[in-house]
Amino acid sequence: MYRRASIRAILGLLLAVVLTTGTAFAQDEAPESIKIGYAISKSGPFVGGASVTTLPNYQLWVHDVNERGGILLSEYGVRVPIEVIEYDDRSSSEEAIQAVQRLINQDEVDFILPPWGTGMNLAVAPLLNRAGYPHLAVTSVTDRAPELAQRWNNAFFFLGTSTQGSEALVDMLSAMRERGEVGSKVAMVAASDEFGIELSNAARDSFGAADFELVYDRSYPGGTQDFQSIVGEVARLEPDIFVAFSYPPETLAITDAAMVLDFNPTVYYTAVGTAFPLFVNRFGDAAEGVMGIGGWDANSPLIQEYRDHHIDVIGAAPDRWASPNTYASLQVLEQAIERVGRIDRAAVIEEIATGTFDTVLGEVTLQDGLLTKLWWVGQWQGGEFVALAPIEREGIGEAIVPKPEWPEAE
Amino acid sequence: MIAADIAITGLIVGGVYSLIAIGLTLQYGVARILNLAYGETFVASAFGAYWLYDSLSMSPLVGLVVILPAAFIVNWLIYSFLLTPLVRRAANRDALEVDSILFTFGLLFVVQGVLLVIFGGQYYSYSYLAVPLDFLGSVVPVNRLIAFGVAVALGLVLYLLLVRSRIGTAVRAVAVDPRSASLVAINVRSVSALAFAVGGTLCAAGGALISMFYTFNASMGVAFTMKALIVVIMGGVGNVLGALVAGLLLGVAETSVSRLIDPGLTLAATFLLFILVLLVRPTGLFGRSS
Amino acid sequence: MNRPRWLVPALLTVAAALLAPLPFIVNDYYLSLGISLLNYSILATAWALFSGPTRYISLATVAFFGIGAYTVAVLYETLPLALLLVAVILVAALLAAVVGLSTLRLSGVYFVIFTFGLAELIRQLVTWFEVNVSRSLGRYIFVEYGSSVIYWQLLGLALLVFVGGWFLKRSRFGLALRMIGDDEPVARHAGVETTRVKLLTFILAAVVMALCGAVMAPRWVYLDPVIAFNPTLSFEVVIMALLGGANSLFGPLLGAVPLVLLFEAITANFPNTFSILLGVVFIAIVYFLPKGVLGLVAGLRLRRGSVSTSGFDADSAVALSGAVADSGQGAAASAPTAAVSAPSGEPGEPLLEVRGLRRTFGGLVAVRSLDLGLHEGEIVGLIGPNGSGKTTALNVISGALAPSEGTILLRGRSIGGKAPERIADAGVARTFQLVRVFGSLNCRENVEAGLAFRPQPLQGAQAHDESERLLAQVGLAGKGEWPAAQLTYIDQKRLELARSLAQDPSVLLLDEWLAGLNPSELVVGIELLQSLRGQGIAILLVEHVMDAIRALCSRCVVMSAGQVIASGPTDEVLSDEEVVKAYLGAEDA
Repeated sequence: MYRRASIRAILGLLLAVVLTTGTAFAQDEAPESIKIGYAISKSGPFVGGASVTTLPNYQLWVHDVNERGGILLSEYGVRVPIEVIEYDDRSSSEEAIQAVQRLINQDEVDFILPPWGTGMNLAVAPLLNRAGYPHLAVTSVTDRAPELAQRWNNAFFFLGTSTQGSEALVDMLSAMRERGEVGSKVAMVAASDEFGIELSNAARDSFGAADFELVYDRSYPGGTQDFQSIVGEVARLEPDIFVAFSYPPETLAITDAAMVLDFNPTVYYTAVGTAFPLFVNRFGDAAEGVMGIGGWDANSPLIQEYRDHHIDVIGAAPDRWASPNTYASLQVLEQAIERVGRIDRAAVIEEIATGTFDTVLGEVTLQDGLLTKLWWVGQWQGGEFVALAPIEREGIGEAIVPKPEWPEAE
Repeated sequence: MIAADIAITGLIVGGVYSLIAIGLTLQYGVARILNLAYGETFVASAFGAYWLYDSLSMSPLVGLVVILPAAFIVNWLIYSFLLTPLVRRAANRDALEVDSILFTFGLLFVVQGVLLVIFGGQYYSYSYLAVPLDFLGSVVPVNRLIAFGVAVALGLVLYLLLVRSRIGTAVRAVAVDPRSASLVAINVRSVSALAFAVGGTLCAAGGALISMFYTFNASMGVAFTMKALIVVIMGGVGNVLGALVAGLLLGVAETSVSRLIDPGLTLAATFLLFILVLLVRPTGLFGRSS
Repeated sequence: MNRPRWLVPALLTVAAALLAPLPFIVNDYYLSLGISLLNYSILATAWALFSGPTRYISLATVAFFGIGAYTVAVLYETLPLALLLVAVILVAALLAAVVGLSTLRLSGVYFVIFTFGLAELIRQLVTWFEVNVSRSLGRYIFVEYGSSVIYWQLLGLALLVFVGGWFLKRSRFGLALRMIGDDEPVARHAGVETTRVKLLTFILAAVVMALCGAVMAPRWVYLDPVIAFNPTLSFEVVIMALLGGANSLFGPLLGAVPLVLLFEAITANFPNTFSILLGVVFIAIVYFLPKGVLGLVAGLRLRRGSVSTSGFDADSAVALSGAVADSGQGAAASAPTAAVSAPSGEPGEPLLEVRGLRRTFGGLVAVRSLDLGLHEGEIVGLIGPNGSGKTTALNVISGALAPSEGTILLRGRSIGGKAPERIADAGVARTFQLVRVFGSLNCRENVEAGLAFRPQPLQGAQAHDESERLLAQVGLAGKGEWPAAQLTYIDQKRLELARSLAQDPSVLLLDEWLAGLNPSELVVGIELLQSLRGQGIAILLVEHVMDAIRALCSRCVVMSAGQVIASGPTDEVLSDEEVVKAYLGAEDA
């Protein structure tokens, strides 16, 4: 009896040892897939932006990665494909929080991609921080980005701050004025939205510091589609420079009104949406010379390849502002994971913060959690949205100034 | 002259609002259906016009020939098969209103969902007839002028029809009191179905026309419904002229505030005007006191 | 209903205690879901508090929710928590008072859209203020605590709302709300200050909504007007409350919980077709659950224990005769047309005096010039053909209408043009031409409605006893628990009379109270009215039934086309040629 008991005990012990080492061995087996989750606005007021900038690039990246067989995890020596779990946050902060919580707790995803918009990104930031997921925020342009990157060491911002945007614009205009290409009268209008307000606040200061004369300085409710009165009022003041910190429906409506009223300032700038293919699809040749936020180095082979590839896979061209940055952020993530070699979020965060990466934007290194390699002003030239500012940045083109007159309507 | 300019620009802007609202005042005033899915019909029609323009190079004005009958049929079907059970079941007007709010809320989501699946969430926009026209000293684009003209024409034609024709009188009777109307041998169900269908057709006309200059996406329906509701309530429910006047008034008010005070307060002014009208005349500018 | 008052609140507290440890048991996802459930339940319940009884569908929910969130966003760094809560409450109450005072003139869909417009206006104003004054649109809220604390805050708020709501419904205030919900004008005539009650309820609901917003704001970290004032929230809350049943305290909960879970299920499993599926679900709900979930439950309950609605109840006639005999009046049972002896006592100073009363509606003169005097213990008939202005005159006296000209004095004090509730307080009670009882209350509660708002109100056990006594007096003994809506026609009339008597009036206005009764019911009714004479109440009887006039009234005033054409002792008046002509031969034999 004793013997049997002791034999049982020994067998049990052996089993335990085998099992534990077995599990240890099992840990050396590569995961079947890398689960990537995201919640973006597939409905509601933010769906317009998310559908152009965020969703296509997520889809494009997943497609590209899986075409290659997946992300190379050196720990296991194999490429592991990506499995996507996606949700609709319905343009609601509360939904976004719920969805990310679901991704973390229920779906237990390995990595989470951010939602669209400043509000959404900020809502989910604390969760991602607490759960230790890298947060690569792109469409979250806010002046507080540097502070937020400090507060949340897992958060990285890929589209800069509003002040950078405005300062780059004003610097460029100052240089133009120096060369005698443009005068000093500025008419400025902004959407009543945090981004619009930050941009216009910063621009107001910069214009003032550079001795530009602000002859019109107003804001309008977001979503307005009738700009006859505003543009008419502005045209009457005959400014040299017209700057509208606007969103897609307004960008188009303002330009429409400008064309009808034959308002041709030397410099014409509408912010978000100008860089969308939608803009040039609607206005065709009339878009020539229109400036907007964003832009890229049209001569860069990386950019050209990205654009063509995007058209190939998605069926539509990317926007010329946040799209390449979105794709670049995903490239950063991919390379960071590959360098770490396994699913270790903390290590990946560390790598993103400190490493240098090869992206469609060129070589990218984050400074204190922020991407600084940004283009802030672009201009439609011959069907391409060429980057013009910041003027110190490489890859910028030459501005067409004055803006060509709007063509005669048909 | 600044006042004239404000007036003309404001009327043109207001014409769009009237155009958005005229259909709803019929649907709500006569058929008694508070159609929360109204804006989705509007947007769907805009998508229709866009698609015809984009793939078949068909002018939206020509496209109306296709869109209007389609809208009439679809709306008539919706009323006859989906809404009639609710009408029959409702014990009184209030019950029907609650039911129709809930039902059309659901319909709103269905239509929006379908549009999202077909067209995705991105913005769509095209320019048609964005030709400037010198109109009494102000510059007005032809496409918006057309929208204004159609709004005014529809308002007047409908008004005359309602007041001068037999079917119009029947419609007004149903709007005032369906029970009494049925007592004088008016087929309330047919008239209501007709009103709902015509309302939907007008809505579709509006959507197709404004697609010439507005930017739209699948999620914008609610914004249009709300605008329409405000104009309808302000003008007096069921009153076609009221919707026309209220829309124009709102357009002029918005433009005035934009030019004279601060463009940031345009929407605030809209809502303030709306609230003031209701406080002074609780049933709307031209509304019946019940 | 013999459950102790404290049972449900105790159960609620236990439930809250059981739910409290949730953050320690489940993961963050379920905690998040729990927060969502609590949030919507509180909002829906608060919404139904006002909109349920009053039937005003408000879309202003998000205005208050957002203002609560914004108050926190602006002040959280400068105020300690207690003061912050006070600030939220004050801001919300102020806003609700302004909104309430301006909107209560509207009704129906106008109110609905008005509240929606108001919420949007507030959003625009906040935006403009932030843009032009604060120069920054978004607000950041960084707090040290996490979801667990938010959950507990919501749980506490929910407990407060449900327990508070429970006691409110059982209070005099709750009774007033139910009365308003059933029949607002009648509530006013029973002494309820309806405007004040509605406004207070609106403010209460608004404060709760604002507190919800205040608790939720830190969760979102970043707040701007679009996020804080998202109109979808108002719609969702309305639909949840309507689905669950807005007229009960726990109804909205039954609507909110399934819908939140349903949204979650659809969103988690069908992210790309969420909209379509949600829409289909809504449509299905409308078709298959027309009265909402609670309506479904109520329907089942009703079918099991329904109350019989038989015709003329012989038992109550016996009881009535007994009561009549008890009050020492002596029954004039045999001949329905037997005349009654002249009223006792000298007339003296009139209790109610009407002089030169005139009421016009635009061009129509309903009452040309009415003079009337009513003394204590008298029953005076106000008779005349249809359209002669009798009911209009009654409406002016009771306060439902204001006089165009003339004076109305009660004990020498003018009551003309005053609000109905003021006149009711002064001691005037009335019944209505088409009988109006509070349908959702039972018989005893209907009588208690009359007891609760009179100058010397009765509540609790006293009210219970007095209402039983009054029910017995009118012949409804033992029917205290019966739903008023299910009574027979004559029983409803009795109930209406009992409620009027409960107000302890000195003047009772009866508007064709005997109309529509069959001969045996008529006998009973006349006896009942006769029994009142001894109680010192002055009765003004508008009637068409000549038997009753002869039996009850010592004096009559006859009106025709707004004018008084005869006035004096009943017999004289009824044989007057003019009077006969006015009736065009419609005189009862």
